[in-house]
Amino acid sequence: MNRLTKTLSDLKDNNKKALVAYLVAGDPDISSTIELMNLFVESGVDVIEIGVPFTDPIAEGPIIQKAHDRALKNNISLESIFNMVGEFRKHNNETPLVLMGYLNTFIFYKKLIEENHNNAIDSILVVDIPGELNLKDYGINSSNINTISLISPTTKINRIESIAKNSTGFVYYVTLRGVTGASNLDVNEISNNVEEIKKHASVPTLAGFGIKSVEDAKLLSDCSDGIIIGSSIVQMIEESSKSKEFDRIGNYLTEIKKAIL
Amino acid sequence: MNSNNKTLPDKNGFFGDYGGKFVPETLMYALEELESTYKKLKDNPEFKDQFYKDLSEFVGRPSPLYFAERLTKHYGTGSIWLKREDLNHTGAHKINNTIGQILLAKHMGKKRIIAETGAGQHGVATATVAARLGLECHIYMGSEDVQRQSLNVYRIKLLGAQVHAVDSGSATLKDALNEALRDWVTNVDDTYYIIGSVTGPHPYPMIVRDFNSVVGEELINQSKELFNSMPNAIVACVGGGSNAMGAFYPFINIKETRLIGVEAGGEGVETGEHAAPLNDGTPGVLHGALSYLMQDDTGQVKGTKSVSAGLDYPGVGPEHSWLKDSGRAEYVAVSDNAALKAFHEVSEFEGIIPALETAHAFAYLDTLMKEFDKKANIIVNVSGRGDKDINTVAEIDGIKF
Ligand SMILES: Cc1ncc(COP(=O)(O)O)c(C=O)c1O
Repeated sequence: MNRLTKTLSDLKDNNKKALVAYLVAGDPDISSTIELMNLFVESGVDVIEIGVPFTDPIAEGPIIQKAHDRALKNNISLESIFNMVGEFRKHNNETPLVLMGYLNTFIFYKKLIEENHNNAIDSILVVDIPGELNLKDYGINSSNINTISLISPTTKINRIESIAKNSTGFVYYVTLRGVTGASNLDVNEISNNVEEIKKHASVPTLAGFGIKSVEDAKLLSDCSDGIIIGSSIVQMIEESSKSKEFDRIGNYLTEIKKAIL
Repeated sequence: MNSNNKTLPDKNGFFGDYGGKFVPETLMYALEELESTYKKLKDNPEFKDQFYKDLSEFVGRPSPLYFAERLTKHYGTGSIWLKREDLNHTGAHKINNTIGQILLAKHMGKKRIIAETGAGQHGVATATVAARLGLECHIYMGSEDVQRQSLNVYRIKLLGAQVHAVDSGSATLKDALNEALRDWVTNVDDTYYIIGSVTGPHPYPMIVRDFNSVVGEELINQSKELFNSMPNAIVACVGGGSNAMGAFYPFINIKETRLIGVEAGGEGVETGEHAAPLNDGTPGVLHGALSYLMQDDTGQVKGTKSVSAGLDYPGVGPEHSWLKDSGRAEYVAVSDNAALKAFHEVSEFEGIIPALETAHAFAYLDTLMKEFDKKANIIVNVSGRGDKDINTVAEIDGIKF
């Protein structure tokens, strides 16, 4: 069974909420990324979302944009990410791994994705395609990788059903009108929309974009199946990129995990 | 491939293999809203009347088709005719599109206008139409372009719009587009994004082409009137491709007319330092569309190089990619040096200082005019005037004011 599907259904069976944590592959360097992934797992993270750096990440705010730039300076490609994931899998074969990125890099590495060596990757989220479509529509056939589609506050109700059906990993509800790292959460709207999505989705619905504080995390996990945290982690990674002391990130995630249980 | 029709894009926004809608989900509804508004209005007589009235009274259309006597003599082969988009209000073809799109924005009740700009001409054209309607206007511009097109930056400010300098990435047009898209994602409910070329997600390439097609439509009539036949060739520079597309589109089925797009060759296509995706790119996805793209061997978008800010872009409108593959249009590139030489020559021969973008189209005449005899009629689309480029050219020529 796909690790993502299994992890999310185990959490649901135990009435627990999922914590998904995001980082950009190769920021500040590949060995730090592996170290951070291990730290995420130790701190209670259920799913790791690996950002695939792209020169033109149109859905990202300044914090994650800069991380993409730092990674690209290290010549990170999807190929080096697959190698990195292979390294990580040598000692961790349980934690679900999701790649999040932009279509151009994925179609460029069609073969690598179709091969998905040792089934290391569990899911792919393509930020810049319509929610009803997935990699298959762009000629990439990979049966062991499931799809995460985005639904946003502006998605019309008549599309929610088809997007929810297309999502085989989880539905990613984008909690705000904006880019990653923005801060205009409207909890009422979020909770109404997530409820609507849940009527149509057979997979869990998680909420992400703009979640920073422990309070945000608690509020949003209450109305969803779990939460995704990105920019605030990436910000801390940036601040520690010289010292490479990442304890603070572990503490932050542990605290979030406690709050959403 | 069937290049003999004008029915594209298809309902999903594709021109053959190219085009589409590759945007974050938050923008999907905005694109649908725009498409349905445009479909409803485009053949509406009142809407068309308003569009053509504004083009006539505010822009000063039709722009003349002018016989370039000395340039013609200089080459000694066919007659060279200039489509004078440089005479439009605000100095370039860009105003045709913004006149149309602001009417869409008004109809949709949007209160806030955003746009990206490279050379600043689209920024000026957008700020101009926004001022006419008293709408809040924000222009995104790469910080490198803010430097090299400082005159236009000040014009945009005079027109009451705000200029946001973009430092990310290569700090040029591509990055201005990224930032405009991010603004749109954030303010999608009340904001209309006026894209400045035949680029971006569907329906933009279609809408911008249609509004700019007034150029090609006028050319058909003017050609009949002035030389009683269809031109042998139309030459236009290609950045995103809007001035070229507007001139080419009405001629798609007029097979005796060669359609020639000239890209920015920068230091020379063979050096890799250029902005010529149709000459030296491969299909890829950028800014919402699949099209020829300058990318490296890991699928990352490559940096570009051109003396001309308006052509300094790694992508190109999807319809041009289709016209290239189908063979209906030809795409060539000329270097910075060739464009600069043409910039000076056209100024001295014709008393017309062309935009550096336009100078690329002129530069290709050196090659093209050898292919014609005296009976031929060649049209150069003079997409804009060169006032904005005086500082850049003076600096290259070592002149300090
Ligand atoms: C005068 C002029 N010509 C051409 C261009 C290139 O744009 P396009 O290829 O869309 O016509 C620009 C863009 O700024 C311009 O200002």
